[in-house]
Amino acid sequence: MLIRPFGWSEFWIIVMAAQWTIALSAIAFAGGGVGGLFIALARVSDSRWPRLLATGFIRIFQGTPLLMQLFLVFFGMNILGFAINPWLAAAVALTLHASAFLGEIWRGCIEAVPPGQREAATALGLRYYNRMRYILLPQASRVAVAPTVGFLVQLIKGTSLAAIIGFTELTRQGQIINNATFSPFMVFGTVAAVYFVLCWPLSVLARRMETRFSRPTAR
Amino acid sequence: MTEANATASATARRGATELAVHMEGVNKWYGEFHALKNIELSVKRGERIVICGPSGSGKSTLIRCINQLETIKTGRIVVDGHDLTAGGKNVDIVRQETGMVFQQFNLFPHMTVLENCTLAPMKVRGISRAEAEKTARKFLERVRIPEQAEKYPAQLSGGQQQRVAIARALCMNPKIMLFDEPTSALDPEMVKEVLDTMIDLAKEGMTMLCVTHEMGFARQVADRVIFMDRGEILEMGTPDEFFANPKNERLRTFLGQIS
Repeated sequence: MLIRPFGWSEFWIIVMAAQWTIALSAIAFAGGGVGGLFIALARVSDSRWPRLLATGFIRIFQGTPLLMQLFLVFFGMNILGFAINPWLAAAVALTLHASAFLGEIWRGCIEAVPPGQREAATALGLRYYNRMRYILLPQASRVAVAPTVGFLVQLIKGTSLAAIIGFTELTRQGQIINNATFSPFMVFGTVAAVYFVLCWPLSVLARRMETRFSRPTAR
Repeated sequence: MTEANATASATARRGATELAVHMEGVNKWYGEFHALKNIELSVKRGERIVICGPSGSGKSTLIRCINQLETIKTGRIVVDGHDLTAGGKNVDIVRQETGMVFQQFNLFPHMTVLENCTLAPMKVRGISRAEAEKTARKFLERVRIPEQAEKYPAQLSGGQQQRVAIARALCMNPKIMLFDEPTSALDPEMVKEVLDTMIDLAKEGMTMLCVTHEMGFARQVADRVIFMDRGEILEMGTPDEFFANPKNERLRTFLGQIS
C-alpha cells in the first residue's frame, strides 16, 4: 500500500506550507492597499469618469465569487497567450480583489470625515493633494484600521481558493498530504488550526482597535 | 499714530479705488430651489458687512460663494480684483486671500492648535515652520489663548475653539474675513469672547462679511447691514436706518422675532 501514516513530518509539511499562504496574503494585501487607495480616491473624486470607472470595478469584484476571479485571471490570461503560472495568477487575482474591497471600505472612511473638514481646508487655500494628505486621509485612517484588519482576515482565508488553480499553499498542501495519508480529519483539522492561528489574533486586534478608535475624543 | 490706525487709514485710501468684493447678477440653484436671486453687492475695502435673515434665506450660501465653497450658476463675482468666473488660478488666489470662520469651528481634530494654525501657511504660502509658528503664536496671543497652543481642539471650550479658528484664518494674512454664524453653536457665556475678538479685528480695519444674528454686534461694528430672505437681498443700510426705520415688511417681522 502507498498510504502512509499521518505523523510529525506530515504535520510539519502542512505547517510549513503556511508560509505560502502568508506570502500570498501579504502580496495581495500590499498590492490591494496601493490599488485600494487609488480606487477609494477615484470613488470620492469630483470628476465623473474616475468615479464611474472605480464604481464599475468595485461592482464587478463584489458581485462575482473570488473563485471565478481566480479562474478568469488564470485561464483567461493563458487563453490570451500569456503563459501565467498559478502563483502569479493567484497574486494578480487576489490583488485586484483586495483593491476593490479595500477601495470600498476606505471610500466609506473618507466620506465619514465631516464635510466641514474639507471645507475648512479648502477655505485655507489647501489644494487637493494637501487636503487629502494632511486633513482627510489622516482622519479617515483612524476609522479605517479596524475594518481593514477585518478584511485582511477574509483575505487570508480567501487565499485557500488558490489551491483550486494548483498553487501549493496551505490548503493545497493539505490536499496533497491527504492523498498520501488518507486521514482527512487529521489533515484538514491541522490545516484549519493553522488558519485559525493566523486569523484569530488579527480578529482580536481588529476588535480592540474598533473600541479604541471609536472613543469620542481624538486623542 | 497707532499701528491699527495706520492700517485703517491705509485700507481707507485703497478703498477709494478698489472693491474687496463685487457681485453682480448672481444666481444659484440647488436643484429646483432658487437659493440666490439676482444678488448685487459691492463691498469696499475695510468695510464691515453684517448679513442677517431667517434660516434658509441664502445668507450662508452668499458668503460661501465668495471663496467658491459654492459655485454659482449665473453672474459674476470679483474678489479683490480677481474674477472668480475665470476659475482656475483665480480661485486659488481668492481662497488664499480670504479667511473663513465656520459655525461648527471645523478645527482639524488630529492636530494641535499650533499645527492647525501653521499647516496652511507652510503648505500654501511655503513659509518655514519657524516663521509659521512665530506668526501663529502672535495671532493666538491676539485672540487671547497663547497658552493653549500645544493642546488638541477637543481639549478646548467652544469659545476657545472658535478663537483658534479665527487665529488659524488670520495666519494666512487674509485681506477679507468671512464669518458664517460664528457664535450660533456656542453656549451663551462664550458668545461674548468670540464677539470681542471679532470687534478687535473690525477695529484694525479688516474687511469683514459676517452672517450673524448678533444684532448688538451689528449695531456696534457694521458699516452696512443686509437683510436676506428667500435668496434675495431685501434691505441694505447703515445700522441706524436699518434698525430704526426698516422699510421691508418681512424685515420688520424678522426684527420683531429676534429682539
